[in-house]
Amino acid sequence: MHTFYPCVVAVLLSQPAALLPTELNVVAVRGSVADANPEASYWKSAQPLVVTMTAQPMTTPRPATTTTPNVTVQGVHDGTWLALRLTWTDPEPSYAGKLGEFSDAVAVQFPIKAGPPPPIWMGAKESPVHIYHWRAQYQRDRLEGKPGMRDLYPHMTVDMYPMEYADPGHLGQFAESDRDRFSPGRVAGNPQSYSKTGVDEIYAEGFSTSSVQEGHGSVGDGCHQAKTWTVVLVRRMNAEGGSVITPGQKAWMGVAVWQGGQGEVGSRKCVTMAWQALNVAPAVAP
Amino acid sequence: MSKVKNWQLGREMDYPYDESRPKRQWAIVFDLNKCIACQTCTLACKTTWTSGKGQEYMLWNNVETKPYGGFPLAWDLRILEKLGRQEWDKKGIYAGKTIFEAAEPNERVLHYAPVDEDWMYPNVGEDDCANNQEAEGYTRSLPHDRWFFYLPRTCAHCTYPACLAACPRKAIYKREEDGIVLIDQSRCKGYGECVRACPYKKSMYNPHTRTSEKCVGCYPAVEQGIQPQCVVNCIGKIRVMGFINPPWKAREDNPVDYLVHKKGLALPYYPQLGLEPNIYYIPPIHAPTDYLRQMFGPAVEGTVERYRALQKDPVAQGLMVLMGSTDRIMHRFSVDKGTARGFDEAGAELVNVPVTEPIVERAAFDTALNSVRNNTP
Repeated sequence: MHTFYPCVVAVLLSQPAALLPTELNVVAVRGSVADANPEASYWKSAQPLVVTMTAQPMTTPRPATTTTPNVTVQGVHDGTWLALRLTWTDPEPSYAGKLGEFSDAVAVQFPIKAGPPPPIWMGAKESPVHIYHWRAQYQRDRLEGKPGMRDLYPHMTVDMYPMEYADPGHLGQFAESDRDRFSPGRVAGNPQSYSKTGVDEIYAEGFSTSSVQEGHGSVGDGCHQAKTWTVVLVRRMNAEGGSVITPGQKAWMGVAVWQGGQGEVGSRKCVTMAWQALNVAPAVAP
Repeated sequence: MSKVKNWQLGREMDYPYDESRPKRQWAIVFDLNKCIACQTCTLACKTTWTSGKGQEYMLWNNVETKPYGGFPLAWDLRILEKLGRQEWDKKGIYAGKTIFEAAEPNERVLHYAPVDEDWMYPNVGEDDCANNQEAEGYTRSLPHDRWFFYLPRTCAHCTYPACLAACPRKAIYKREEDGIVLIDQSRCKGYGECVRACPYKKSMYNPHTRTSEKCVGCYPAVEQGIQPQCVVNCIGKIRVMGFINPPWKAREDNPVDYLVHKKGLALPYYPQLGLEPNIYYIPPIHAPTDYLRQMFGPAVEGTVERYRALQKDPVAQGLMVLMGSTDRIMHRFSVDKGTARGFDEAGAELVNVPVTEPIVERAAFDTALNSVRNNTP
């Protein structure tokens, strides 16, 4: 499943500038695009667009250098789901785990309200954005389960944890939910502290305001090969309460990439400095 | 950056948010002359708060041996080295830069990022003595030329927390009612910015919950008028928790105000970093002055002198014996006719203790039993 799909960045960059497209044509396809398949044949029909990225410049802390100068994006939709395939160079895959380890990640944002897009910096008060955030760490959770302390520190010595006894005796066995009272993030219901399925849906009204939502069934899948991440993000076009993308109409999108191996996390990221226009093709009959 | 007043520096300083002092401010005073590093505080905290997964090496309260101990490793040396040499002027006003003022353009505070290995040796340097005992025998001078002392540490619930300043998600807040600084466990995404930013390294990462955690000041106890676990379990009675006012609102009958502002017996540690930390130390009087000055600032010499003169001051002496004599938070104290009394917020007496206990001298020889007395039971 995780085979490298040849990227076309080099080919595109070798073309004269005048020929480079500036808008992303989101192609309508027959059949479903909901499976987040990076190798599906419909990608052949989607023209790639190279999006320029810059080290996030607006708020501190921020990265000193641009680690991801560009991302190649393709878009397809089936009338219900919109799929984006994003490709960028990253020398090594990174997954968060121990202290100081951060995950590679990519996020795309869409304005929630119709009309002119809000400030590109994660929206603004009363001008929210809808963010789809894929992390390599979340994908690993889905495929291998959330790593436990024994996975992270195989040689660690621990006598016992509360309510988790080798011989419970008359106490009996406790449920994981009982033990959660000893894990503040979990007992507080922080999604961060639970196993993730792949993509977080987030609403934000500017920096520092993002909050993870229940979501609309978005999915993602990524593979790292030949020093390149290829990630497919699939979102519902009509995300009720969130951003809505209508076939046949223009839409706007922003992109952010984190290279965890370079210590990028949170506001330490590379971003698009302007909204990227999407030309969403009218739906085709199934 | 806003201009805020930092009384510990004697000047205004830059901080990412406006000055907003809580209604009252949680504070602990520690008498370092009495700490024996029994780690009872450490375990009281550990068993109360951090016995879960991902908290194995998490010690919100720790006791380290100075000069060589440090948890995480060399936290003090590393931030001081990063800040570089700074000066206090002759009037005791800080002339150097704080970690907010010295921040690089892309950062909110000057910081270093501790790595996993730094947190793996909680008791490194324990009882390691500065200078060479072998060469010249044991200490024969004051201050001691061969020395160490114990430094118990909790979160300082700073007036200007670096953790709060650094969090890009605004997941850290300072409570208006008591000044306790908390990480919102439902909002934290584990970026670790607070772990980098806190110069005292009292924000810690939990890889099980994937969030950062820190000392909560035992707020559920404090809300009920009870002092934190590390304070009430201190067998050496070296600590007292209360509420400190800034010097311009200091009250003489407030135990913490008295020790810090009125009597000048207790000082914040590394005030030059600019956080206005709210744990205060009565310095160890036998440690070298140079070491104490870099840790507690230029006022430390006067503090040591006043501590030495304590036996001539029945009020200060009375307050010292009130330390550890009640689990409740003392909002007020009094010393009268050889009795020290602590009072709660409503003015009810919590405890009374004699300032000095009666001393009975027994002759070395018991004539009735025709026996030599000794101290061995």
